[in-house]
Amino acid sequence: MKPAAFEYRRVTTVTEAVKLLRDAPDAKVIAGGQSLVPLMNFRLTRPSLLVDVNGIKALQHVVWDGTFLRIGSLVRHQQIADNVEIQKHCPVLTVAAKHIGHWAIRNRGTMGGSLAHADPASEWPAAAVALNAEIEVEGPQGVRMVPASEFYLGYYSTVLQPDELIVQIRIPSLKFRLGFAEMARRRGDFALAGAYVEDDGNGQGFVTWFGVADKPVRVPTVLPGNLEARREAWQQALGTLPIVDDKRSRIHLAVQIAERAWQHSQLEGAKYLSEEAIAGGDQPL
Amino acid sequence: MTEQAMRPQFMGARVKRVEDPRLLTGQARYLDDIDVPGMLEVAFVRSPYPSARITGMDLNAVKSAPGVRAVLTFDDCPILLWQKDTYQVGQPVLAHNEVRYVGEPVVAVVAEDRYQAEDAAELAVVHYESMEPVLDMEQSIAELPRRVHADASNVFYHKEYTTQGFAEAFAQASHHLTATFRTTRQTAVTMEPRGTAAMPDPASGRMTVYASTQSPHRIRGDLAELLGWPENQIRVIVPEVGGGFGMKANTYPEDVVVVWAARHLGKPVKWVSDRTESLLSDVHARDDIHEVEVAYQEDGRIIAIRDHLMADGGAYPAYPFSGAVGETSLASRVLTGPYQIPFIETVIDCTYSNKTPLGAYRGVWGPIASFVQEGIVDRVARSLGQDPAEVRRINMIRPDQFPFRNAAGMIYDAGSYGESMEEALRLIGYKDFRDRQSVLRAQGRYRGIGISVFVEPTAMASSEAGSVGYESVFIRVEPTGKVTAAMGLGPTGQGHETTMAQLIADQVGVNLEDVVILHGDTDSAPFGGGTGGSRSGPIGGGAALVAGREMRQRLVKLASHLLEAAEEDIELGHGQAWVAGVPDRAITIRQLAEIAYTHVKRIPPGMPIGLELVARYQPQQSVSFSNGTHIAEVEVDPVTGLVQVLNYVVVNDCGRLINPLIVEGQIHGGVAQGIGSAFLESLQYGSDGQLLTTSLSDYLLPEATDVPRITTKHLVTPSAGEGGIKGMGEGSLIGAPAALVGAVSDALAPFHVMVDRLPVTPDDVIEWVTSRV
Repeated sequence: MKPAAFEYRRVTTVTEAVKLLRDAPDAKVIAGGQSLVPLMNFRLTRPSLLVDVNGIKALQHVVWDGTFLRIGSLVRHQQIADNVEIQKHCPVLTVAAKHIGHWAIRNRGTMGGSLAHADPASEWPAAAVALNAEIEVEGPQGVRMVPASEFYLGYYSTVLQPDELIVQIRIPSLKFRLGFAEMARRRGDFALAGAYVEDDGNGQGFVTWFGVADKPVRVPTVLPGNLEARREAWQQALGTLPIVDDKRSRIHLAVQIAERAWQHSQLEGAKYLSEEAIAGGDQPL
Repeated sequence: MTEQAMRPQFMGARVKRVEDPRLLTGQARYLDDIDVPGMLEVAFVRSPYPSARITGMDLNAVKSAPGVRAVLTFDDCPILLWQKDTYQVGQPVLAHNEVRYVGEPVVAVVAEDRYQAEDAAELAVVHYESMEPVLDMEQSIAELPRRVHADASNVFYHKEYTTQGFAEAFAQASHHLTATFRTTRQTAVTMEPRGTAAMPDPASGRMTVYASTQSPHRIRGDLAELLGWPENQIRVIVPEVGGGFGMKANTYPEDVVVVWAARHLGKPVKWVSDRTESLLSDVHARDDIHEVEVAYQEDGRIIAIRDHLMADGGAYPAYPFSGAVGETSLASRVLTGPYQIPFIETVIDCTYSNKTPLGAYRGVWGPIASFVQEGIVDRVARSLGQDPAEVRRINMIRPDQFPFRNAAGMIYDAGSYGESMEEALRLIGYKDFRDRQSVLRAQGRYRGIGISVFVEPTAMASSEAGSVGYESVFIRVEPTGKVTAAMGLGPTGQGHETTMAQLIADQVGVNLEDVVILHGDTDSAPFGGGTGGSRSGPIGGGAALVAGREMRQRLVKLASHLLEAAEEDIELGHGQAWVAGVPDRAITIRQLAEIAYTHVKRIPPGMPIGLELVARYQPQQSVSFSNGTHIAEVEVDPVTGLVQVLNYVVVNDCGRLINPLIVEGQIHGGVAQGIGSAFLESLQYGSDGQLLTTSLSDYLLPEATDVPRITTKHLVTPSAGEGGIKGMGEGSLIGAPAALVGAVSDALAPFHVMVDRLPVTPDDVIEWVTSRV
């Protein structure tokens, strides 16, 4: 379990990173390395060059500019969990961050790394889609903004070009209630099913699952007050997605998790309640 | 016996482990820390097929890769792990013409470091002709789809046993039920993986082998035997071992290849398993099916059990014992557990398959048998509408029945079976539980309690530590009065340096910090079986008591001569000897030692010079039974299928305790592993014979957040052996899975669920709940 041989370069600017990526098409960016390093050790990926972006100071910001919450791609999961601005302007991220791996993993893993890795069972890609966020990427041709809804193509697959680097994610201010729920076998594991549910307060909204289909999709849905009718709505919304497998339990869980995420959105009162107020959802085992 | 019990200071005390400071500060030295200049490292090319003929190999690119020193195949190293007598087949240490499981070593690449070895191993071209694999145990018994080994039947072990009068008793019972219990492949997943390093010493011609093993002398013997070398030419050193759990009781193909390579290259050579190799090639365990029929009466008395025990032994018998045989043969003999079920009929079939060989994992047969035995009792209770605790009471062996001969002829020494259950029921609050349960059920919440009353045969004459029924201790009071003792045990985290020192310090009359325990070096330790089968406490501890006592007698004799008092008037303690009632007439052990080694003319006639001796201890009984009760309270979420363990009680009886702190640590660890067995751990093979769970993101282990606080209480029913000690290394994992899944059955009783498999996954729960409403 040793990686194949590779070159290693540490950079301090995005320009420098992009230049290296352009010159070596099979290079990989390393930030937290929480997914990449295991893949390299299994020799499932064998880049000729690792471009270490950890030294780029310009990617480490969390800013609320009055319109957007902007999170630099090098911000660590634990920093997101702990950040007061994020708690204030997009509290669903604070809740979701705590479901990512364990403390040691959260201390290293980054927002940008997770967005780019595009594991369909992970929290950030679905958050970006659910929040209508835009992902800012920089390449040799300059900077472009990609709506998160257009960023994901499928399993571990995005529109990011090999010579592009994610710079930041730009999240518009929340208009409506947004709830979150996730279920995993053990605390910190990738989700068996997770969901973000947005409720406009008028019986309409969106559900964005993760761990259910090959990529996160923000599915519009009706949100009737009646539980049975809502279950029906979740089923309908699921019907529009390519489900990862045909296990009965997967569908069952997706419905239940959407329901829990919706209940979460209802419980938030003025703005938001702590996740501890919600029974179940992430019990150990 | 009376003398050893005299004023014990350290035995029974909650002494902190002397091992912990080095372990907790990262100072411990494990096998991979062994590094010497010029050491080469090995990477293995392993079979990607469960079953295939090797039609050719092209290893030229491997041989010319940078840093490569040797590339070995079976032709270089033609050694079989078993001579073919016992099981008719023996695993070649590197595959010979055919591969029989995914992960089987095929080629060994020896290079200057592991990176280069792995780079080169990738270049190996092995041509395989795939064959249909044998994957299903029941099919395998019928030799379907084919034989795993052309020259040997798939059923490599078959045994039948019937209590006299079984058929009549079974037929005459008023009630009958049937059930099939299945366990899923698991493995030990030690924190430190396996590893071996070998260093030839050109000066002496001897080979030093560093091994991460539970049995230093056994692996030395195995290597000597397999390589055809005199055993005094091999020195085995066991550094710190980060967990064994039975999995490190075997000698593996890699061990032999590494030692062979070191000899033939004249270089130090090391191999350390990575995690994927561990999951592929460490012995697996718990691949069993029990088809059970039970006869019982209206009052809940269980009369007879018929059981067809099957175990999938994998592609080869592990060396030097097959886990399939260990799991089934002992399960068949203790299947009635703590209950006086008078009749049993068992048929055992152990089969070959195209999977990794089965070996030992903590508890071996026990977690399986307890799961079956408690599952039977729960089924009887539910079918009769009786309380599960009450049915256990009705069937429990009574204190006046000891020594008790069970239906399979095993003799149980005294235990506290009923008492342990009653105490555990009290601690968990069973009296009020049914009320709480029904209130919560009305709210749609599903809580349950599972009771597991277990028996744990310990200190057996033969176990995975081999057929060495004794242990040995070399003890020396040094010329300064400090005490050094060496043992043949192979601790893998049990704290023997603490517990054995406690026993010896009491006997020799010195302080704990004056005793050093050595182990894990065949050059200094006396011959012993090693650690496994819950034998180190009762047998190793017994040997420590005997050795300490003999040394004590030597010191008393010497003191009596020097203090001019009768031997029976001499007392020993706190580093000195004195005349009873006259504390002024004293001499320190240091002074005694000085005389024994230096002023030897003062030694009384007939006493040897020095203070050194070797003592051995073999218990008179061939087995001593520990016992206890585990009760788990769980809540099952019928929506997600997740199970939360809310409350857990263990009442444990392992005879006299050497160190309650260490006993409780063993219990906590066993319960944690039980949670893994019950809910998480599962080695899954695809229908094509590929192992799908080759990393710890697929093979789920319990984490700290999954383990509840555990209430522990000790009962003490001493054994008849030295010190009254019984073994306790496995009981907690024997008892736990049955308690945990029993609690799931109880919680989901409204859905008519009776758990019939280990582990129970969220998918299972969802399936049961959604299909049986």
